[in-house]
Amino acid sequence: MRAKTLALPKNRRNIWGTIISQRELIIMSVPLLLYKILFSYVPITGWTMAFQNFKPAIRNTFDQQWVGFDNFVKLFTGINGERFIRDIRNTLAQSILTLVVGYLGAIVLSLLLNEVKNIGFKSIIQNITYMPHFLSWIIVAGLVSSALALPSSGGIVNIVLMKLHIINEPVQFLSNPDYFWGVVAGSHLWKELGWNTIIYLAAMTAIDPALYEAAEIDGANRYHKMWNVTLPSIKPTIVILLIMSIGWILEAGFEIQYFLGNGLVIEKAETIDIFVLNYGIKMGNYSLATVAGIFKTGVSIILIAGANFIAGRLGEEKLI
Amino acid sequence: MKRFASLVLAAAIAVAMSACGNGSDSATSTQSAASTGSAPSTTASSGSSLPVLSPDNPVELSIWITTSQQAPSADNKLTKMLKDKLGVTLNYEIITPDNQDQKIGVMLAGGEYPDIIGSTDQNARLVTGGAYIPLDDYLKPEAAGALYEHVKPYWNKIAYDGGQGKHIYQIPNYNRFYGDIVGGVNYSASGFWIQKAVLADQGYPDLSNMTIEKYFKMLEDYKNKYPKIDGQDTIAFEILCAQGREWGLTNPPEYLAGAPNNGGVIVDENNVAAVFADKDVAKRYYKYLNEMNAKGMVDKESFTQTLDQYLAKLATGRVLGMYDQRWSYGNAHDALVAANKVERTYVATMPTFDGKAPYYADRDVMNINQGVGVSVSCKKPEVAIAFINTMMNEDWQKILAWGVEGEDYQKGADGKFTRNEQQRANSTDLIWRSSNRLMALTDIMPKHNGTYSDGNAYSPEDQPEEFFATLKQYDQDFLTKYNKKTWRDFNNQPPENPVYYPAWNIALPDGSDAQMADKQLKDTALQFLPKAIMASPDKFESIWSEYTTAIGKINVKSYEDAINAGIQDRIKNWATK
Repeated sequence: MRAKTLALPKNRRNIWGTIISQRELIIMSVPLLLYKILFSYVPITGWTMAFQNFKPAIRNTFDQQWVGFDNFVKLFTGINGERFIRDIRNTLAQSILTLVVGYLGAIVLSLLLNEVKNIGFKSIIQNITYMPHFLSWIIVAGLVSSALALPSSGGIVNIVLMKLHIINEPVQFLSNPDYFWGVVAGSHLWKELGWNTIIYLAAMTAIDPALYEAAEIDGANRYHKMWNVTLPSIKPTIVILLIMSIGWILEAGFEIQYFLGNGLVIEKAETIDIFVLNYGIKMGNYSLATVAGIFKTGVSIILIAGANFIAGRLGEEKLI
Repeated sequence: MKRFASLVLAAAIAVAMSACGNGSDSATSTQSAASTGSAPSTTASSGSSLPVLSPDNPVELSIWITTSQQAPSADNKLTKMLKDKLGVTLNYEIITPDNQDQKIGVMLAGGEYPDIIGSTDQNARLVTGGAYIPLDDYLKPEAAGALYEHVKPYWNKIAYDGGQGKHIYQIPNYNRFYGDIVGGVNYSASGFWIQKAVLADQGYPDLSNMTIEKYFKMLEDYKNKYPKIDGQDTIAFEILCAQGREWGLTNPPEYLAGAPNNGGVIVDENNVAAVFADKDVAKRYYKYLNEMNAKGMVDKESFTQTLDQYLAKLATGRVLGMYDQRWSYGNAHDALVAANKVERTYVATMPTFDGKAPYYADRDVMNINQGVGVSVSCKKPEVAIAFINTMMNEDWQKILAWGVEGEDYQKGADGKFTRNEQQRANSTDLIWRSSNRLMALTDIMPKHNGTYSDGNAYSPEDQPEEFFATLKQYDQDFLTKYNKKTWRDFNNQPPENPVYYPAWNIALPDGSDAQMADKQLKDTALQFLPKAIMASPDKFESIWSEYTTAIGKINVKSYEDAINAGIQDRIKNWATK
């Protein structure tokens, strides 16, 4: 019996043969599949709300009032439309800025860390930069809000800048809309910088030392080695991570915008998620919130497929 | 063969696991469906009597409360008393008012509720969302007698049509008065508050015919004289603009125009409501704030702070004035008193434009569309109602409002309740309160406001003798200087409320155009007004015109129509009581 099953994989065309030979793998994946179906696909049935005038008091979906595309029209036209489009802009801008700053920061830091030969110093730096990752966003938002407050309320950033005579007047970081995207990107950078280097550092340890030796023999200095050996070697990692992040591009985070957003900065602070919360959940307008959710999903799928396609064209690894 | 068996087994486990998941899911959903379905039928049949709560038959009730009060500590003596006397254990979930809307949205979407829900949501979203059971069948003399007594005279006002006819879903938690209305603190007082220290420093100036200019002059003079208070920068004027309290920014113009608090509208003598946000009276106020800001009179952090930060700032004693309502900044007041900074607490002034008579104070309004009710998820609604009804008895009311006789107050030979110095000091100690009072529960439960049948006032703060005795020497002198007896006297004498009053608690249903317009008006105000106030004075006009243009795009009429319909409906149904 054993011999028989082992023989089967050779016959690749026989799908049943493949299934039987890989049955352990398939069984192992069943719980995950069920999990995915239960939590990712079953909730899609909730999308019906987008086409209804949904009232939570009515528990049977089919008793709801069907309104066709009314909710889509409501969301994308008139002053809601203006606002929603503004929120898409904010989401994309905050997300892209965070992504770019976070990527460059993590790659540069990991390249630098890779060059540090003193292990003790290296691990101290790593530990310090990791640590903020373990704070929850709401705590980070609180820290950011007090760090950026006015000096009279203990805003350390203003105090330091004023003591260094870089500025004369305290800067109102939190009430000027033009600073908001920067505040978001900066907080992300502070929180996730160390954490994001881990995967690059891991990728760097896998680089064949012979490459460095060869480069050295060719007369390469440290910067040459960084540029010509380290970076190209971790390029596939960078690309894969980038593709994965692009799927999340409409998730610009929530807590920091929610906590630091106020009337003064709303034109730059409000993201799709905050809009959904304010106009959907808080007002009981679940249908509108669902339409916004569908929109987000649609855009994310297009973006990730696009990024994957481009990566394939560039001859890099594809995610799917 | 062994492998095959293990495969089957594994598959079976996987299926069983998923089935379990689904199973428990469907079990809860049928359960909640059952309780939804059966609730009305139980109410129909069991209208006769309620179960008796006793320690022999302990029950646990989950209760969800919107309040700014803290949950009681674990060793709370009244919690123990509820358990010992009634066998009731309460599991609290406390939501601060600024998070209420969102939490209600999530609860409604989930369809699972705690047994008892106490909210302050003016739009009755929980009612229209189907979270509450109608209480009508319990509200009978032979069932929930005390609650029946409570709502009987106001049935038409309290009953709300949430889509299934008019029923009573929530028992209002404030201002259903019994007997005489007594007391020195008017918690619903509204005004431009000013620190007592400012008035004392300026020789107790006359506060009648107050104008916004005079008010700011006092703040400015004091700030110039004392640029620091307790080592921190003095803040002349603070603007309340936190989530859920946006009215701190948007309401003042109506008062300045000599109109009472109708929320976002001013109602004229023909009972027609109109939005004032973009009218001249509003412009005049915000333009003045803009000028004051240029002079450094307005706190630059007003618009970026949360409610907690706002209250914490007031509690430092360095804020000279703000527009607010007495109940809203109550925690900051208590903290100031507890820190022995009585001179930093506030009295109300009532500035108006053009010599209009001030109408800041209204007759205490019963808060409809808020209070406590029983949810559709409650397995034993009759127990929950029995509990609320029991709490409404005078004995329990006294325990909630005064404390335990002999421990927290004494009963004199004449039957009057009094407290000694220690008991008074305790009652302002926030830590003592958390283990000896049930502030959060008391806040949301229906109250015997006014006086008890034995002539004592509802709470120590309302008892005239207690009120004067608790006044610190500073306050007694202060009142004498102004020749006034209570803090109430700093507000105008309220005329009889119009029949429809107040328009701010006319509910706008979820998903309606009016609700959307209301939200958009609020958001627009929050976006442009802070900018207009903080801008340099030469930019004010252009920001104001941006603001009015933005309002022009909103369907304001749908909002005004809904409010006017509400007013007309009330005039029709409430006039007879």
